[in-house]
Amino acid sequence: MPELQGQCMCGAVTVTATPARDALGACHCDMCRRWSSSAFVSFPAEPGYAALGPVRTYTSSDWAERAFCEECGSALWYRITLPGEMHGQTQMAAGLFDNAADSEIKLELYIDKKPEGYTFEGERRQMTEAEVIAAYAPEAEGNA
Amino acid sequence: MSARAGQCMCGEVRFTAQDVPQEFGTCHCKMCQRWLGSAFLGVTIAEKNLSWQGEDNIATLQSSGWAERAWCSKCGTGLWYRVTADGPLNGNYEIPIGIFDDAEGFKMTREIFIDRKPDAFAFQGEHELLTEAQVFALYGPTTEGA
Repeated sequence: MPELQGQCMCGAVTVTATPARDALGACHCDMCRRWSSSAFVSFPAEPGYAALGPVRTYTSSDWAERAFCEECGSALWYRITLPGEMHGQTQMAAGLFDNAADSEIKLELYIDKKPEGYTFEGERRQMTEAEVIAAYAPEAEGNA
Repeated sequence: MSARAGQCMCGEVRFTAQDVPQEFGTCHCKMCQRWLGSAFLGVTIAEKNLSWQGEDNIATLQSSGWAERAWCSKCGTGLWYRVTADGPLNGNYEIPIGIFDDAEGFKMTREIFIDRKPDAFAFQGEHELLTEAQVFALYGPTTEGA
């Protein structure tokens, strides 16, 4: 995948990242819903991504943090902080990049938490909260 | 129309809203994409019907010549888009539907800046669709962004 250049809404933060896969994920968990107004749409970034500017992080759970631009509030990424094999894995907000990184949504997480007021058209793999927790965080409770 | 309450992701900022419509709109402009990761799904609420708590944690930015955006300075959650320019839209807040404690009971009726929507997704169902040019023709002498 090619390296992509993106930026937050106000331009204070610029991001350079390479998608690890040509696929976007949409997370419907309660925390992502509040953070994004609907679903958090993102791609997995290769290690070594870079951000310049006033990045602020918020520890949103015992296993992850979320980064945003201090000057405009733009959501930047979700990153696993828990030690272990997933440590450092980062989901980069698609909207920072042209045409959402030229990719498409291929996975929806926490689909059972999605409000009825909006639905992404088409068919793709979907996982419920229970399926997500069983697959990624059997020891964890609640959402991310 | 009903009363609803909500909060940002971390809970530092809370609000209550009266007369909340069920119908909401989605904005696909590039500023909204960059702000929230995909699109801004927001419901229009009059200023007089909103009450905020935790205001010390509300940060704002005049994001264009005619509008302001606010977010929680602790967790980054977007709180509102508000037209600051004089005119019929002044005094209305666009509140993200995702920050309501109960995000059910809303219905998407319109998508604006539809020509800026990425190819990554589309929302199911029939909605009124407005292009960037149509939005500017309707709402003002603006030339860029939103």
